[in-house]
Amino acid sequence: MKIHDIFRPQKEAVISKWIEAVYATYPLETTGFLRTRKDPFTNPVGDMTHEAAGRLFDAVSGEDTDPVTVRQAIDRFVRLRAVQKMTPSQAIGVFFLLKPIMREQLLPLCTGDRARAAYLNAESRLDSIVLLAFDMYTEARETLAESRITEIRSQCAQVVRWAQTVDGSPVSGKS
Amino acid sequence: MAKLPTPHELMASRKDFPAGSWLDVKPEFAPGSFCYPAKVETMERLHMPHPHEWDPAAEDWNLPDNWEKILCDAFEERLEKHRSLKLFMDICVRCGACADKCHFFLGTNDPKNMPVLRAELLRSLYRRDYTMLGKLLGVSVGARGWDKSVVKELFYYAYQCTECRRCSLFCPYGIDTAEITAIVRELLHEVGLGTHWIMDPVKNCSFTGNHLGIQPHSFVEIVEMLADDCETITGIRPKTPFNEKGHEILFITPSGDVFADPGIYTFMGYLLLFHELDLDYTFSTYASEGGNFGSFVSFNMAKKLNAKMYAEAERLGAKWILGGECGHMWRVVNQYMATYNGPAPSCMMDVPTSPITGTRFENAASTKMVHIAEFTADLIRNNKITLDPSRNDHIITTFHDSCNPARAMGLLEEPRYVLKAVCNNFVEMPENTIREQTFCCGSGSGLNTEEIMELRMRAGMPRGNALRYVQQKYDVNHMACVCAIDRATLTPLANYWAPGVTVSGLHELVGNALVMKGEQKRTMDLRQEDLPNVDPDEPEDDAEQGEE
Repeated sequence: MKIHDIFRPQKEAVISKWIEAVYATYPLETTGFLRTRKDPFTNPVGDMTHEAAGRLFDAVSGEDTDPVTVRQAIDRFVRLRAVQKMTPSQAIGVFFLLKPIMREQLLPLCTGDRARAAYLNAESRLDSIVLLAFDMYTEARETLAESRITEIRSQCAQVVRWAQTVDGSPVSGKS
Repeated sequence: MAKLPTPHELMASRKDFPAGSWLDVKPEFAPGSFCYPAKVETMERLHMPHPHEWDPAAEDWNLPDNWEKILCDAFEERLEKHRSLKLFMDICVRCGACADKCHFFLGTNDPKNMPVLRAELLRSLYRRDYTMLGKLLGVSVGARGWDKSVVKELFYYAYQCTECRRCSLFCPYGIDTAEITAIVRELLHEVGLGTHWIMDPVKNCSFTGNHLGIQPHSFVEIVEMLADDCETITGIRPKTPFNEKGHEILFITPSGDVFADPGIYTFMGYLLLFHELDLDYTFSTYASEGGNFGSFVSFNMAKKLNAKMYAEAERLGAKWILGGECGHMWRVVNQYMATYNGPAPSCMMDVPTSPITGTRFENAASTKMVHIAEFTADLIRNNKITLDPSRNDHIITTFHDSCNPARAMGLLEEPRYVLKAVCNNFVEMPENTIREQTFCCGSGSGLNTEEIMELRMRAGMPRGNALRYVQQKYDVNHMACVCAIDRATLTPLANYWAPGVTVSGLHELVGNALVMKGEQKRTMDLRQEDLPNVDPDEPEDDAEQGEE
C-alpha cells in the first residue's frame, strides 16, 4: 500500500483541521466570517487558505510534488501573510500547524516499518514546502521594499527630469 | 531556564474565547501600520489648532492639557452642524451588512475594520453623552468615555479607512461611514493630530496651487516638456495654453498627471486630444490641482482648496470647466462644491455644451464641470475623432472603477465606452468587484504614502485578487482607471498581487489610438516603447492614417 493510499481518505479531515488552525490565528470576531463565506471575492482570505490547503496536502502526501504547482498554489496565501500584521515566523510557521494534525490523524494509520518511513518522508516534504514558502515570503518582502523606492522616484519623476534641464542642458531621453 | 516555544505557541493561536471585549483590545502602533505625523511648521502655517511634536509609536502623544474638553466640544459642534452625523450615530442597528464589505477588513481581518465597528468607536462615545441608556448604564450598553487610548484608537482606524463608501452601498439605512471617518479625522485635527502625507500637499496647494508646491513657471516648463515628448512620438507639438483669458473651457486635472509616472502619459493623451480638436481651452497655474487633500482634513480646508476652481474660471472668463481623470476631486465637485463655494460664477454658461458636438451636458448644469470621460465618449459617439485601436492590440485590458467617480457620481458606462473604442481587447473583472461594488485601491483619502506600503498591500488585496483572477483566466496584462491616486497606487499593487499587469489612465490609451491630422507614422506608444507589429521602415498606409 502506497502512502498516499493511506493519506487520501483523510484529506478532507486533515485540511479542514489545518484551515481551522489557520483561522484561529485571526481574531475570534473574524473567524465566523472566514468560515461561512464561500465566494472567492467576498472572502478572499478564505479562498486563498482553501487553495493552499488542498495543494499542501497533495504535496505532503507525495501525490503532486512539482515545486512549480506547489508555488502557484501557495503564492497568494504567502503574499497575503507577508503583508498582514504578523511576525515572519507567524506568517510562514503556519504551515507547521499541519504537523500535529498529521501526527494525530495519519501517523496512527501508518503501521509497519515501511509505512512509518513513508510517513517520515511526508513530514520532510512539509519541511521542504516551508523552506519554499520562506523563499517566497522573502521575495514578497523584497518586492514591497522595492515598491517603496520605486514609488518615491515615480512620484516626482517629471520634476526631477525638469530640474536636470534647469542649467540649460537639453532633456535627454526619458526620465 | 526558559523553554523554546513550540511552533503552535509561536503562531500565537488565540484562545477559543478571548478574555476581554473587542473594545478593550488596543491597536499596536507598529511601523508600517501608521502614517507619519504632520510637521509642526506645516500645521502652524496653515493655522491648524494645537500644532505640536508627537510620534504615533510613542506612549505619550503630547496632547494639549484640556484635550478631552476640546474633543467633546468639537464633537458637539459637529453634531449640531451635520444632521447626517447625528442620524448616523443614532440609526445603526448593527445588522452587520457592512461588516465584510470593507477592503480593509478583508485584507487585515481586524474586526475593528468592519465599518460597523469602526463607526462604533465614535458611536460608543456618543452613546455616553447623548443617549439616556448610555448615561444610565454605561459600558453595559456599549457606552464609554474618552481617554487617551481612545484617541489613539480613533487615529489608528480613521486612517485605515479610505472613505471609499463601498460599505454604504450595502447599508439598509444608507449610513455613509466615510462621513463618520471624515468627522473623526476632523476631531483629531482639533487636538493637533494630522498626517504629513496629507498636510504637506494641503500646505503646498494653499501656497502654490498644487500638491508638490511647484511654482507656476516651473509647472509650465514641465508641461512643455510633455508637449515635446508628444512631438517626438507623433511629429506634432500640441499647444499648451496657460492662464489665457477668454477661452471657452478651463481644464483642471490632478497635478499627479504632470509630475508622476505613469500619470504623465495620461496628461500627454489630453494634450494630443485637445490639439487634434483645436479645443478652445486653457490650463491655469493657480488652479493647477484637481485633487483636494483638504477633503481629507476638514470641511473648511476642503472648501478653501476647492475655491480656486470657480475663482479661476471667473477670472479667466471660462464658460465651463472640463475636469481630468481624478477620483476624490469628483466627489468634492459633485457632492460638496455647491455647498462650499456655489453657486458657480455668473459668467459660466447655464449648461456646459461641447463645442465640438453641440451636446449639452445637462448632468453638469449645476456644477459646470464635465468629466473628460463623458466628453470623450461624446466625441466618439458623434464620430468626431479618428481612432486606430489596433495600436493597443498588445494590451488585454480590464477597467478599475475608481471609488469616487463610480460611487459618488455614477460614472460607469462612459469610461467603458471609451475604452472599448480604443482597445480591441477588454475584459471585466468579476461582477462583485466592479462598478458600484468596486474595490478600492486601498490607498485613497491620503493613504497613498510609502511608509504604509504593507498596509496598502493588504488593504488593496481584494482589488489585487480580482485583477489576478482575470490575469490568470483571460491573460489580462493591463488595467485602465480614471483616477490619479489609482494610477500611482495600483502600480505597486498590481506588481505585488498580479505581477506583469501595467496600469494606465484612460486617456493614455486614447492618445495611443488617436489618429491625428498630419501626424508621423506611430512606431511607439506614449511611453516611448516600441509598438509591436509596426515596422518603422515600412512606408505608412495613407488610407489608414485619415486626412493628411
